[in-house]
Amino acid sequence: MAAIPWGVMAILLPLAGAMACFLSPRRASPLGLITALGVVACAAGLGWQVAEQGAQRYAIGGWGAPLGIDLYADGLSLLMLMVTAVVGLGISVYSSGYFNREKAVNFWPLWMFLWSALNALFLSADIFNLYVTLELLGLAAVALVALAGGADALTGAMRYLLVSLLGSLAYLLGVALLYHSFGCLDIALLAERMEPSPAVMAAMGLMSAGLLLKTALFPLHFWLPPAHASAPAPVSALLSALVVKASFYILLRLWLDVFPVTAAGLGQLLGLLGAAAVLWGGLQALRQTRLKMLIAYSTVAQLGYLFLAFPLGSNVAWQGALYLLLSHALAKAAMFMAAGNILCFGGHDRIADLDRVAQRLPLSLAAFGLAGVSIMGLPPSGGFIAKWLLLEAAMRSGQWWWVIILILGGLLAAAYVFKVIGYAFTQAVMTHEARAVPATMEWAALVLALVAILLGLVAPWPLALMEIGLPFGGEAAG
Amino acid sequence: MKKTMNPKSMTESGKIRTPFRLLLMVLLSALAAGLGYAVSTLSSQSPGSGEWVAANLETSGVSNPVTAVLLNFRSYDTLLEMGVLLVALLGVWSLGGIPEQRESSPGPVLDTLSRLLVPVLILVAGYLLWVGAHAPGGAFQAGSVLGAAGVLLLLAGWRLDARFAGLPLRITLTTGLGVFVVVGAVLMLVGRRLLEYPPSFAGALILLIEAAATLSIGMTLAALFLGSRPEAGPDR
Repeated sequence: MAAIPWGVMAILLPLAGAMACFLSPRRASPLGLITALGVVACAAGLGWQVAEQGAQRYAIGGWGAPLGIDLYADGLSLLMLMVTAVVGLGISVYSSGYFNREKAVNFWPLWMFLWSALNALFLSADIFNLYVTLELLGLAAVALVALAGGADALTGAMRYLLVSLLGSLAYLLGVALLYHSFGCLDIALLAERMEPSPAVMAAMGLMSAGLLLKTALFPLHFWLPPAHASAPAPVSALLSALVVKASFYILLRLWLDVFPVTAAGLGQLLGLLGAAAVLWGGLQALRQTRLKMLIAYSTVAQLGYLFLAFPLGSNVAWQGALYLLLSHALAKAAMFMAAGNILCFGGHDRIADLDRVAQRLPLSLAAFGLAGVSIMGLPPSGGFIAKWLLLEAAMRSGQWWWVIILILGGLLAAAYVFKVIGYAFTQAVMTHEARAVPATMEWAALVLALVAILLGLVAPWPLALMEIGLPFGGEAAG
Repeated sequence: MKKTMNPKSMTESGKIRTPFRLLLMVLLSALAAGLGYAVSTLSSQSPGSGEWVAANLETSGVSNPVTAVLLNFRSYDTLLEMGVLLVALLGVWSLGGIPEQRESSPGPVLDTLSRLLVPVLILVAGYLLWVGAHAPGGAFQAGSVLGAAGVLLLLAGWRLDARFAGLPLRITLTTGLGVFVVVGAVLMLVGRRLLEYPPSFAGALILLIEAAATLSIGMTLAALFLGSRPEAGPDR
């Protein structure tokens, strides 16, 4: 590959940005913003490269698979990288207004490291390297949660750290078993050499369990709401939008490439857990009195949809899940940012006391509403396309019961979104001093919400990108 | 805070959740048995990638296979690990740290011992760094020894001068990752792949990266021991 290695630059640039922010804390914010723009350019460059030349493989150090580490970019990794770039830019713009100087010094290097870890994770083709990126990602995420200070955030962060480490270690144990069995770590090579054995089953169980814990699938979601709700708003946004998706991405890769033979009964189980997550998360969201907790439980529910694709297993189902992942990333980031604006403006996020936010923060409420449209899955949003694809897959495979879950989940989402919007229009007595919210913070939320809607209007384009390199195997969707 | 909270919550959970604990014990035993069975079925002959390493060792620039894997074949992993180490420190620093207790003087034994040991430890770290090219050793081992020297100094009451606690300290902490990234990027600029060392320079480049990494690792470990961000002078 003689061309410019955009993928490598998407990893190195935020690393360099992190060091620059660390070395020069006074200029951390502008340095971070410049880096963010650079990373977006890298993602665009890689997108162009992949769209023109097909899936890319890059041998780091020039050694190649069994000895060295390869980077691999196909449609799936590209879309993950691109949504990270868009959400990341939004979060960077938002954060430049959100943090005071003291917090910004700590925030920017950690966020740049986290971004680098995400890009490295989405591009890695090596299961041990994936572990290293998970470690970098997890540590940076925990430190960012703790940034809020206070007992809630520290408890949430501590729990998150323990969960994150447990998940990583289970994954690592699986990696060790696979390496001993097959003598390689590269995903493509593993797929070639794969043959079922007790050790492979154990590895699959361990790696899946570890990653499910990190992805917060239903019974393992207990750590997510406190961690995501107590973090500072931009951190909540990046955790819900991007970090939980990273472990899901690894699970998807393993499921599609490494363990394809052994999938049958477990797929149904994952689908059931996903359905339980959709219902439980939706009901819990409805019960919450705090806006950020409501949004965090909504994440639990939305993550459930991703697992509905496992029992269906068809190309359309995977596309639906990936589409949901993309639109949820954008919409949930916008939602948390809007909640952050409301919190920053009013000093609290009690849903019942959202006194006339509609008049005071119209842009933020618009962002919340538009993001809500995508979360509910109403047309013309990205969430609608995703649910449409999942519905189609469920009908085609004759597993109609998943359709009920999809519809119920949508209704629950509508209920909790309208609950918030309803209170936002009520009149209440102003009980506190309002603080002005910087315009950048309002616009960052609104633009991300608009992109989530836009994702529904340009559907053919991402769907075509998904086909590059056939990450979901088999023939192109009809 | 943790210290005061932990025992209380533990006794509470101990009272309420005894059946739950039993269930957990049963499940964990089942898990252990299952894993034990899976491991027992593994063949003792692992295919591994040992022969690949052996076949390419000559062009790697070092003769110690472990160093060759860590700093050449899979150097990218090590690069990211340097990032992990720095993130760990950033995380600890962002917590604000614990207020430092000014202890009484360390006592003559610790004081004299640290004066004697620290130079020796630095020497050992240098040796480990150098010997890593062809025998067990290398940046992480050397860095740990250097970190131990730092911990000993901190225990003996030594503190970094405020003049060096700002930018100079931060530069030292990032040197390891920084040199790694710069070497990788420069190789890309001259038309090679990321971290694709030219065989004739491989040994020198590995030593350069390891030397920088040793310094950063040692400094990071000592700083982690200290816990909070050292107070710096006017520049911050």
